[in-house]
Amino acid sequence: MAEFTVDCLGEACPVPLMKVQKQMEKMAVGDVLIAQIDHSCAMKNIPEWARNNGHNVEIEEVDDGEWEIVIEKTK
Amino acid sequence: MEKKTEQYDVVIIGGGAAGLTSAIYCGRARLKTLVIEKALVGGLATYTNEIENYPGFPEGSTGLGLMELFHKQAKKFGVKFKLTDVRGVKLEGDVKTVETFRTDYQCKAVVIASGGKPRLTGAPNEDKFLYDKGISFCATCDAAANTDKTVIVIGSGDAAIEEGMFLTKFARKVIVSVMHEEGKMDCNEIAKEEALANPKMEFIWNTTVAEFRGDDEHLRSVALKDTRTGEIIDVPVDTCFMFIGYVPNTEIFKGIIDMTRPGYVITNEKMETNIPGVFAAGDVREKFLKQVATAVGDGAIAGYAVEKYIAESEVFENQIMDKSMPGIVYIWNAVVPESRELLKEVEAFEEKHKGQVKVNKADVYKSNGIAVRLGVEAVPAVVSIKDGQAAGVLTEGITVESMEKLLGL
Repeated sequence: MAEFTVDCLGEACPVPLMKVQKQMEKMAVGDVLIAQIDHSCAMKNIPEWARNNGHNVEIEEVDDGEWEIVIEKTK
Repeated sequence: MEKKTEQYDVVIIGGGAAGLTSAIYCGRARLKTLVIEKALVGGLATYTNEIENYPGFPEGSTGLGLMELFHKQAKKFGVKFKLTDVRGVKLEGDVKTVETFRTDYQCKAVVIASGGKPRLTGAPNEDKFLYDKGISFCATCDAAANTDKTVIVIGSGDAAIEEGMFLTKFARKVIVSVMHEEGKMDCNEIAKEEALANPKMEFIWNTTVAEFRGDDEHLRSVALKDTRTGEIIDVPVDTCFMFIGYVPNTEIFKGIIDMTRPGYVITNEKMETNIPGVFAAGDVREKFLKQVATAVGDGAIAGYAVEKYIAESEVFENQIMDKSMPGIVYIWNAVVPESRELLKEVEAFEEKHKGQVKVNKADVYKSNGIAVRLGVEAVPAVVSIKDGQAAGVLTEGITVESMEKLLGL
């Protein structure tokens, strides 16, 4: 179970989602990706996309207006 | 991954206007409160650019800005937030469980404020192009990516037209598919006039989606069907924005909570569902008007009802079902003369057996919660309690003697 991080701070949609998709492709089942974001619309499309693809998603608010989206690759 | 278990007084599912208001009321009542939100706290309101009709903001507010204030207020009262989706629930009984993929949250009461999610057309190939593949539900999210491109908007309600106008700031052309005849739209008149005057907007009337067309990578065109002639119009687009309303987010409650056919949760005016200790608030409810202002009203009622429910549960367990001595519960209605008359008998009984029998009175005029928990519908009634269990019921001929007989004294 490896853990990866993508830094999307300061980036607007749809860049964070695209970065997450690219990184997820390279990962193995069971790996965890942490996406650091501060653009609120990425809070909508990243979890939506990930759940739609069956992955586990949990979000941590690390600071005011700054989040880490934790995605566990399931397939 | 190993699952954790955490304890709360109340878990609120959904962090939109209704959920946050419930949280404010519960937090302020010093209940240990958790809000579970699967994406951004603020819910559907954060998708709206301008909220002009929420009282107290004469200059208007952005949806996101308004919801940030709600969030801040809830945090002030010690409410905890968990940003993840709910996988399943166990709602029967006194201890309820709300499951997420990592944690089981156990609680005494649950508020369902899960709102809605975008409705789909059901047209062929729709599922192949959702979200990143060309069908979007969020103009704010995906407008910039469509700079100088051609997009289609499905729908003519307030959301569709307002988001469509927002898209004209980025896209080269915004085509709007409207199912009504020319000039007829579901949005408000101001938005309609502005949209019709917008040179970047083009309307295709009397149409619904027949099919989504594209390849493995992305949506390429939307096939519209003329509802009068049946003719198929192929409209090449880069992105399709869909705003044809919402459906309630209630799959995980199916078969547990009573709902209408489209899946809206049925509640009474206290926001109670069919299961004691489970409440619903906001857009997820079957109701007349779905607005931030009405969600706030629902949330306040649900939050207050949770507090009352939990307080009543404690009275029930610690006082009524007290195991240390036998007891009776007099279920009465303070506004009915017959009930008041019999109170004298009950008080005489209480005096006679002081120290040996515990006497409780539950006034159904204030709340029928205790009577419901004891399974008694008749009023007045006397229920005997032995070893922390309801043992017998008396609904007629309530006298000191009959109560003694009921308890076997």
